[in-house]
Amino acid sequence: MAAPAASVPASRRTLGRDRRQEALAGYGLVAVPMLLFLVFQIGSIFFAIYISLWKWGPLGPTGLNPFRGIRNYQTILSDPIFWKAITNILYYAVIWVPLTMAIGLFLAVIVNQKIRGQTFFRASFYFPAIASSAAITTLFIFIMGPEGLFNGVRQALGVNPIFSLFGFPSNYNWLGESRTAMNSIIILNAWTTSGTFMLFYLASLQSISHEVYEAAAIDGANAWQTFWRVTFPLLRPGHYFVATVAVIGALQLFDQAIFVGGSGGEPNNALTTPVLFLYRAAISDFNFGYAAAVGVILLVLIMAATLIQRRLFGQAPSW
Amino acid sequence: MRSLRFGLPIVVLLVLSACAGNNGTGGQSGGSSFDPSSISGTVVFTGWQASKDEGVALQAALDGFKAKYPKIKVDYQPIATDYATAMAAKFSAHQPPDLFYVDSFVSHDWIEQGLLAPLDDLASSRGFDTGQFYPGFLNAFKGSDGKIYGFPKDGNALGMAYNSDTLSAAGIQPPTTWDELVAAGQKLTTGGKHAFCLSSTLDRELAFIYQNGGSLFNDDLTKSAVDSDATKQAITWYLDLFKNGYGVRPKDLGDDWCGTSLGKGKVAMIFEGGWLDPFMKSTYPNVKYAWAPLPKGKQEANLGFTVSYSIGKDSKNKDAAWVLLTYLTGPDGMKIWTQGGVANPSRKDVSAPAGKEVLVKGAEIAHPWSFIPGFSKINDAFNNAMTAAIEAKSDDPTKIVNDTKTAIDQALNS
Repeated sequence: MAAPAASVPASRRTLGRDRRQEALAGYGLVAVPMLLFLVFQIGSIFFAIYISLWKWGPLGPTGLNPFRGIRNYQTILSDPIFWKAITNILYYAVIWVPLTMAIGLFLAVIVNQKIRGQTFFRASFYFPAIASSAAITTLFIFIMGPEGLFNGVRQALGVNPIFSLFGFPSNYNWLGESRTAMNSIIILNAWTTSGTFMLFYLASLQSISHEVYEAAAIDGANAWQTFWRVTFPLLRPGHYFVATVAVIGALQLFDQAIFVGGSGGEPNNALTTPVLFLYRAAISDFNFGYAAAVGVILLVLIMAATLIQRRLFGQAPSW
Repeated sequence: MRSLRFGLPIVVLLVLSACAGNNGTGGQSGGSSFDPSSISGTVVFTGWQASKDEGVALQAALDGFKAKYPKIKVDYQPIATDYATAMAAKFSAHQPPDLFYVDSFVSHDWIEQGLLAPLDDLASSRGFDTGQFYPGFLNAFKGSDGKIYGFPKDGNALGMAYNSDTLSAAGIQPPTTWDELVAAGQKLTTGGKHAFCLSSTLDRELAFIYQNGGSLFNDDLTKSAVDSDATKQAITWYLDLFKNGYGVRPKDLGDDWCGTSLGKGKVAMIFEGGWLDPFMKSTYPNVKYAWAPLPKGKQEANLGFTVSYSIGKDSKNKDAAWVLLTYLTGPDGMKIWTQGGVANPSRKDVSAPAGKEVLVKGAEIAHPWSFIPGFSKINDAFNNAMTAAIEAKSDDPTKIVNDTKTAIDQALNS
């Protein structure tokens, strides 16, 4: 063993030692955040899985027979409100994700043009994303109320006959009625989040090389064709990233739901989401084990969704 | 004139309660070795605060405590928002405050989790008489083991608040029965105006269910009793108020709660509790309104809302906390706390502040707004089904009762 090492030239040995030291320093530096990550992220996931098998409160296991095995999961899966929460969130994700991606991409393409006031438009499209969700949701509640701005504007524009065709009276409470509450939240969040998606897409757009556009121009492609045949397919890594972030965000919908509908998910559970359901179990009932089980189910759901998306978009770009 | 009329009974009561206080102390020195005036230390004391007036009233009560027990220091640490979340963290760390608020709505969850210390043995060995508390308030803190885990710091029952000008203009007296209420609703619902702002939630409607002889549970809270004709009838009657347009939900008027609707003059009557008064005083001081008892159904019944002072199982300084607890929920402390008008007494031996007589009388017939662990899901099930029925303009109670029963059965079996 010692012999081959001795035969290595002196210069390579020093390099090896340098590399080792460098690697050691690197691992040393990474170790600190990694340890925090393992303990507080991965560790808490495993702890959540553990307590999801118990009747568990602030002081730990509670009651005479605290071990529940899979019964927490059985109770959750037989709870109609949980299924309502899942249906709500799937509906939300199916509508909101493509809608917001489309708006985000549209805005990105617009502000990617060489137009006057480019910075101003970028900033103003992004602006709703930096406002706190509490503040913006509170404003939205006022806007969409029976005597709110939205109803006032459609009154002033004289378009109420069209709305009444669909059964919306002039003082309709958009967030207070179960058939429109979730759709209103979708519109609110599409508006506030599209700015963020615009930024993501903008980064992807700018990474597309000029040469492909020049080639398309030489081939006589018009703007419409260039977008659909060149830009859109080449944005595939961007689509994957934005779609993944969007779906994870959608499945975790909470802030707007609790501000509008309270912890009860009013009206009529239209705004109950899985995270809200979890929050209710943990904070209203102090039933941490049950809440942890909801969290585990949500984790599985989000992981499954992400893996599916990876299959759909995730191959390495082919250019 | 007014202050004199109410001032006299208060003076009489002051004297009476002073005597009661002396009796209590006498009992203690005879019965056991616990002498509150010998206790010293710091009590960490936590609650929430709904208004500035509340802070002033509480400070006055704490000043009274300081004068009587100078050896005990009170470290008041109110929690501004998200009380339950903050308390969950403190309980998990095994470092709860020594004395803290517990809302009757969650008391059974907290009791079942073993977070609170039972108080019965202390009360009997240390001579604190719990017989003066209205049962509708005290029983909110009785665990399934029959022990008491908190004493109500104050209490509220529901009453009917009505706009005096609107009623006298229409020439009607405040209704006293369900039939009179419906008649008044018919008369006052004109020209796009509604007679009542009604909350569609269980925390109001249950009072009417009790009035009709209905209930959610059997007496010892071990079985669902919601599936009864009396309950269904009451729900139908309540839904009809919406269906006929006599009553609307606050959100249909664009308001956050019925107090706002009364203040803005959109409705003539609402059903709320004493929390309305400080709100009206600060937000709509010029609106003239008065209280009347809840209109009577088949029987008189009311719903009691309360918050306790409780001691944690892991609290460090339990003896000093006990002294503060019994002062604040005793006649002296409660008198100071309630006389500012921010709260109503939970004890029969503390008289109602001026103008609150109707509400305090409701406490005598109040059922506690407090049931079993996991009740929040039952509450949600009821409220959501109510919302669906109101949106569908239906008065069919079937789904409401069925959903509630399912939730009750699930909570009882988990």
